Amino acid sequence: MKKLLTGDFLGDFDEAALDQFILRDQFRRLKARVENTILHKNDNNDIVVRGDDAFKLEYPLNEESVVRFSSYINTLTDMYLEDCQVYFAMIPDKNYYVQSSSDFLSMDYQKLEALLHDSIKGMTLIDLKDALSLTDYYHTDPHWKQENLDGVLERLRQEMELETDFSSIATTVKRFAPFYGAYYGQSALNLAPDTIEYRVTKASLNAIVKNVEYTGDPDQAPGVYDEQKLGQLDSYDVFLSGSTPLVTIENPDSKTDKELIIFRDSFASSLAPLLIEEYQKITLIDLRYVSRELIGDFVDFEGSDVFFLYSTLIINHSDILK
Amino acid sequence: MLFSSISFIYYFLPIVFSLYFLVPAKYKNLVLLLSSLAFYFFGEPRYTIILIFSTIVDYTHSLIIDKNRGRPAAKLALISSIIINLSILGFFKYSDFFIGNINALFSTDFALLQLPLPLGISFFTFQTMSYTIDVYRNEAGIQKNPLGLATYITLFPQLVAGPIVRYRTIAEEINERTHSFDLFAYGVRRFVIGLAKKVLIANQLGQLYQISVSAQSSSVLFYWMAAIAFSLQIYFDFSGYSDMAIGLGRIFGFHFLENFNYPYISKSISEFWRRWHISLGTWFKDYLYIPLGGNRGSNLSWFRNIIIVWFLTGFWHGANWNFIIWGLYFGLILILEKLFLNQVLVKLPHWLRHVYVCLIVVISFVIFNNEDLAVITLSLKGMFGQLSIPIFNAESIYFLRSYAVILGISIIGATPFARDLIRRGLQSKTSEKIINGLEPVLLLSLLLLVTGYLVDSSFNPFLYFRF
Repeated sequence: MKKLLTGDFLGDFDEAALDQFILRDQFRRLKARVENTILHKNDNNDIVVRGDDAFKLEYPLNEESVVRFSSYINTLTDMYLEDCQVYFAMIPDKNYYVQSSSDFLSMDYQKLEALLHDSIKGMTLIDLKDALSLTDYYHTDPHWKQENLDGVLERLRQEMELETDFSSIATTVKRFAPFYGAYYGQSALNLAPDTIEYRVTKASLNAIVKNVEYTGDPDQAPGVYDEQKLGQLDSYDVFLSGSTPLVTIENPDSKTDKELIIFRDSFASSLAPLLIEEYQKITLIDLRYVSRELIGDFVDFEGSDVFFLYSTLIINHSDILK
Repeated sequence: MLFSSISFIYYFLPIVFSLYFLVPAKYKNLVLLLSSLAFYFFGEPRYTIILIFSTIVDYTHSLIIDKNRGRPAAKLALISSIIINLSILGFFKYSDFFIGNINALFSTDFALLQLPLPLGISFFTFQTMSYTIDVYRNEAGIQKNPLGLATYITLFPQLVAGPIVRYRTIAEEINERTHSFDLFAYGVRRFVIGLAKKVLIANQLGQLYQISVSAQSSSVLFYWMAAIAFSLQIYFDFSGYSDMAIGLGRIFGFHFLENFNYPYISKSISEFWRRWHISLGTWFKDYLYIPLGGNRGSNLSWFRNIIIVWFLTGFWHGANWNFIIWGLYFGLILILEKLFLNQVLVKLPHWLRHVYVCLIVVISFVIFNNEDLAVITLSLKGMFGQLSIPIFNAESIYFLRSYAVILGISIIGATPFARDLIRRGLQSKTSEKIINGLEPVLLLSLLLLVTGYLVDSSFNPFLYFRF
């Protein structure tokens, strides 16, 4: 009754009617087809489809956001990381690899990098741009493919002086298809779905994962690959069960006591299960879900390597960081 | 409730149509009244009482007028009704404008009321006033049945964004009207066309406008794209709404007058205003311009009347100085046309006269659409190369290419080209059969496409709901 008198009822009803509309996906597809083929619009809902690949327009460069991001992690470094070896790497979003296309709007990546170089203090910058290419990303999703991260691992091995030869580790590859990435739904088109591949190693099998958001039986806690997530809303959540403010991976078989702390977004979820070969413990902190003021109460940074690993998508929208 | 919403098209309308056509004729007005009140209540629950109050005021005052014809009491009732209606409008729409200006002028600090504007108040106030004035002038018969008058005032097809339907236009149909398959078919066709104009064209142009004004790198092209996109958007938005209103009216057996007649093909601004928002123009003409003396008397009093009418036309659109400037801008151009411009214009080729009208109108909508005078100045400077910005850049070209087809469709759609094509086709029996066969397919396709756009889109405001 209250909603009826405030006028909120109609808004809620409208929203529900849209969400539950019969043949909703087919109607969305009809619209997308008309936008693409009749109106010749370059994008539909900001999703650009080129060949098999879907991209989300990430434009323009938000310089304020980049400066805010740099300032944010500089402050965080001053707060907790004085005695740590700190690394920083920017993951280019997939648009980076099609930026020269004349029918595509891209942010000014050069300027973004220059701004980061000028403002980030006290950490080793690792360049991942040429360790990746467009084919290293899913067609229908913004994320990179775990199976294509050899170049990234090699670059990290060099820059972070890691001892593990990641290419020589015995691996079983598991696959899941069809994987409908985030851009699949947004495009509303019948794009060819992807396949998720993930590498199962001895270390990844034995790893003990403690997710701060997991409230179930500890003996039943998912490992680095949470296969129950496959086929659900976002199958990419197979990697470390998806978004969470804090998760640790312990490697009981580790021959070292090295620890790594990763300040990260979702891209790191698929990288960490591979990096665990090198470390006794990896802590992943997602500052989108926990404030930097609080994180010191939960994590001991002393003696750890620290890695800031962020995609350009976060750097360009840094107000999302708490 | 928006006409262009899933809840209206697929929930509200089917229920109303079912009830309306199932009940006996004597209950049809009751169904319409209750539906209209529900329509208004769902969108504006708190202010439904104003709508009811306004109806009671005009019902009682018109009864007094009718009983006291020729006596001072009739005139008093008329004045009282006008004062009450204008007070309601003034209080809700213009209070903050006056408070703000008094504060600015006298350095006072009166608090703004910050009242939400009741939906459609400018439209239904003018409608109710027209009824009482027409009764006073004996140009409309008295409606003694309160249900009949309430049905007219609250009639949901035209309640919140016009056209401003005068009582005398539908007086007979309120009491007795016919329904037929042809009327229903015409109404559905008109409604779907209006819906398509709104959802498939106006909303797209609205997106282009938003993109153009929020672009990262400005260019002259962006300023023009914003101005042209808005000028076309407001036409398709408002004329689409009027089409939907006229179509719904026809389904229920009412014949509302046309509100638009391809204004962008005009060859002078005087002609433009005979084709744009016709119901508002004729309202001001009949209830203000003519009573003020119209074009009788000296040139000075004629021009004074024009300025008063256009000042109030602008002010009717919104309680901001930009609307007043917009109204006076047109008033001034109309005076200039009457003084000498029309004589110059008739000697020019048609295409140049169209360019003149389009330029004047596009500039007018820059004024209309920006409440901040500094933004108006900046936009006009940007359009005419008075800022140090490039003519175009990669960003503006990207969006121009992306919206080129929709711009092309909207420019052609703003002319009677398609209508004339169909009319020519109807002259041959073979093509008439083809057109008549294709029409339902085309309308159904449009409805499905509109549904696709509604299901997938969040950009759907009606511009004239602001007024």
